[in-house]
Amino acid sequence: MIQVKQPTSQIRVYVWDPDGCLEKSLDLQSLMGQCAKSTNVVSCEKVDDPSATEFIETLGRDVGNNLFDRIIWVGNLDDSTLRRLREPLSSSGLNPYMQIQCDLKAQGICDEAVDPPVRFRKALTLLKMALARARLLEPLEPIYLPATDSVAIIGGGVAGLHTAVSLLELGYGVHLIERQSGVGGKTALLERLYPRICDPHCGLAVVIRQLAQYERFSLHTLATVRGLEGSPGNFTAKVLKQPRFVAEDRCNGCGLCQAACPVSISANTDWFQDEPPFPASTGLNALVPATIKAIHPSKPMAFPYAFTIEREFCPEGCDACRSACPNGAVVPDQVPEEKTIQTGAVLVTTGWDPYPLSRLNEFGYGIHRRVIGNLEMERLLGSDIAAGFKHVAFIQCAGSRDERHLKYCSAVCCSATLKQVRSLKERMPDIACTIFYQDIRTPGFEEDLYKQVRNLDNVRFVRGLPAGVEAQDGKGPLILTAEDTFSGKPIRLEADLLVLAGGLAPSTQAAQVANALNLPTTRDGFFESHHQCYPEESQRTGIYVGGCAREPMNVAQSIESSQRAALKAIRFLKETVRVDPTYPVIDRGKCDQCKRCVEECPFSSFTFDEKKFPQPELTRCRQCGNCMGVCPLGAISLRHRTMRQFAAQIEVLETSFMGSREEPLILAFLCENDAYLAAAEAHRIGLPVPPNVIQMRVSCAGAVNNALIADALSLGVDGVMIGGCKDGHCHYINGNRLVLKRSGDLQDKLKTMMIEPQRVRFDALEIRDSVKYVECVEAFVGDLTAMGPNPFKL
Amino acid sequence: MPPKVDFEKCDGCKAQDEPLCEQVCPGDLMTLGENGKAYCRSTRDCWDCMSCTKICPVAAIETRIPYQLGYHGAKLTPMMGTNTITWTSVDIHGNVERFRYKNRIG
Repeated sequence: MIQVKQPTSQIRVYVWDPDGCLEKSLDLQSLMGQCAKSTNVVSCEKVDDPSATEFIETLGRDVGNNLFDRIIWVGNLDDSTLRRLREPLSSSGLNPYMQIQCDLKAQGICDEAVDPPVRFRKALTLLKMALARARLLEPLEPIYLPATDSVAIIGGGVAGLHTAVSLLELGYGVHLIERQSGVGGKTALLERLYPRICDPHCGLAVVIRQLAQYERFSLHTLATVRGLEGSPGNFTAKVLKQPRFVAEDRCNGCGLCQAACPVSISANTDWFQDEPPFPASTGLNALVPATIKAIHPSKPMAFPYAFTIEREFCPEGCDACRSACPNGAVVPDQVPEEKTIQTGAVLVTTGWDPYPLSRLNEFGYGIHRRVIGNLEMERLLGSDIAAGFKHVAFIQCAGSRDERHLKYCSAVCCSATLKQVRSLKERMPDIACTIFYQDIRTPGFEEDLYKQVRNLDNVRFVRGLPAGVEAQDGKGPLILTAEDTFSGKPIRLEADLLVLAGGLAPSTQAAQVANALNLPTTRDGFFESHHQCYPEESQRTGIYVGGCAREPMNVAQSIESSQRAALKAIRFLKETVRVDPTYPVIDRGKCDQCKRCVEECPFSSFTFDEKKFPQPELTRCRQCGNCMGVCPLGAISLRHRTMRQFAAQIEVLETSFMGSREEPLILAFLCENDAYLAAAEAHRIGLPVPPNVIQMRVSCAGAVNNALIADALSLGVDGVMIGGCKDGHCHYINGNRLVLKRSGDLQDKLKTMMIEPQRVRFDALEIRDSVKYVECVEAFVGDLTAMGPNPFKL
Repeated sequence: MPPKVDFEKCDGCKAQDEPLCEQVCPGDLMTLGENGKAYCRSTRDCWDCMSCTKICPVAAIETRIPYQLGYHGAKLTPMMGTNTITWTSVDIHGNVERFRYKNRIG
């Protein structure tokens, strides 16, 4: 590769020293004099107030007259000052990326305890480093990429529906993709919602009425996402729609077909084996009857209003529904249809499915017909089939918090059971209820529900799970044997019904969605999330997760969390998406197409261009720089923080400022999210940081390339310290682990080079670890002094 | 003497179709074995150019020096910087010599 000669840069250095700290602690005039004499520097002056209108005007004029083209601000300009400078300067022609800061105070120049000559030389070194970087600066402009202002929501449960309405209200287009024939999800199957104990259909119906009013709302039912291409702002989703055999635009839901249909199928046949134990009831609600016809309204809620046909139950040659339909809406020859949807962002609200209780045979589910799950109990509560029951028992944590089944707490079952007990007691005040539990978990105000239920007559809480569940004569009432672990007494009781509070497992479609969207999931099958500061964020930019798809939660939390996800998605729902120009670029001359960057990018943002070179999807990239750190050839650079800029700065360290060869010189790469801030704070509050260290700010510890460490060591820097986040705290998932692995490899190489591997050191620092930072540096200085100078040192 | 690959360290360049050592080897001698690790498939054809040793991103490859240059125990280790290469030569008596060169432009 031929070196392109840099156009000569004209650097102005402005020293801003509002508190006179630099003036006081070193010979500033001499420093500025030396700086002014450096190559490419046109002037080095002090400035009293960088945000003064007059000063900014002069700067603008001088830029216009080509008197300089880049600035180094020596001192700590706060964000608001920088913001005030940016607009007038960029309008007069100075690109915002042609300015850098060199904060001497944050590197301990004002520390009186340090020998003044050392401080002076360190300040000069830092200035030279800033100059080296400034010479390599390039003007950068943000990129605006076209985007789509509609969003795809996967899952039409309570979370998806509410989010759809919120986004439609704001004027965005919404594609709601639902795998079932109708919307409503699990919430629509519930009899009552806690804490207000009201009918969930009331809330859902309001939302559905609202949805129907918006033109930009499209509902894709019986549909699954098959793939996602493109990048945030501009996704193309492939959706496969299964046939409904009824034309949605022609069916008006009159129901004549249902009356004509000769086939009755028993819904939910999966949970009662041969014959239903109780008479089939239509009491719950007309939309989800226990027995349905082969042509029936959409389930679980009749939205869309079109009916749907279960074709596998249709007898050969039957034409009853088609001849009954006055609108000609029955289309028996419909075939699966593949659609593509243009979307700016994707919200995943796939929700949950009950954990298969048939795996819990110790409680007799699937063996005794009087043992049911809590979702089935919801249906039963809406009917009159519990009439005549004297005693209902409940078992909590059936499957949850169990190493053999679900390892987590399903979060809602305790309150759900209490709600069921309350509903049951309201309808049948004389019924006795026994609740077997391990712990009752009713966080927040749900405690009220617990108190209410505890005070009801004939409700008994037993701590301990039943050891045996048997049925009299195989069919009659159940005999439960258990031990009350509080009293230590054995219990034997007879129950007419046993309800298992089964756990919440990830939706059965979650794995398929994860596959289609390339979205990582946890060990349990829920979608990965930050869980703390950015709970809605998945590991894929532009895809946000809300509701039970992320973790078990109740209805209110589901709605809230998916609204937050929607709020974050709005960023991409515009005509254009702005991308900061500091994204990574690949030097095609150097790149060997080894694909390591593609593999290790934490956000999977690399694709390949037509010549098989990796190319970051700019809107998906979070600009953490891990690709830059990982590239074995140093071919990737974040713009504005390039490998060349780092290398040029490190080159300045060839001559140590410490004064003697024995005094160790340390280069510290510090992650700007935690470690750098801890170090800056240490200097600000005046902790005794050894002067031996030069701090270099990096976007993530994972952005530190081994070549840079090798550069520093081969130039005679005695030790290289990498300050990253604690394990599991990295803002970019695992940058700290990646750099630890790579620097470990380098340490092994140092061993064969007869250099102490301890010269490279990794420290995990949190933002408030200023004291620990000082301790780490002190320890490192001690170690390096004991080791003696780096053999490469001049 | 052929390059020796430390299988503990080699990650086969994440088992992509061509690891870096394979791409860089002038004799096309390096390749991935069935275990997903790189190895030299024709040891007698190796010229000891050390390209693979230099490029390996996980420092898994070591080139044994031919006996004419140094007996067992002697080592020559390159370390790549951004535009420098640093050589460390250790002879059988443990004497160390170090060299540092600029090696690329840009």
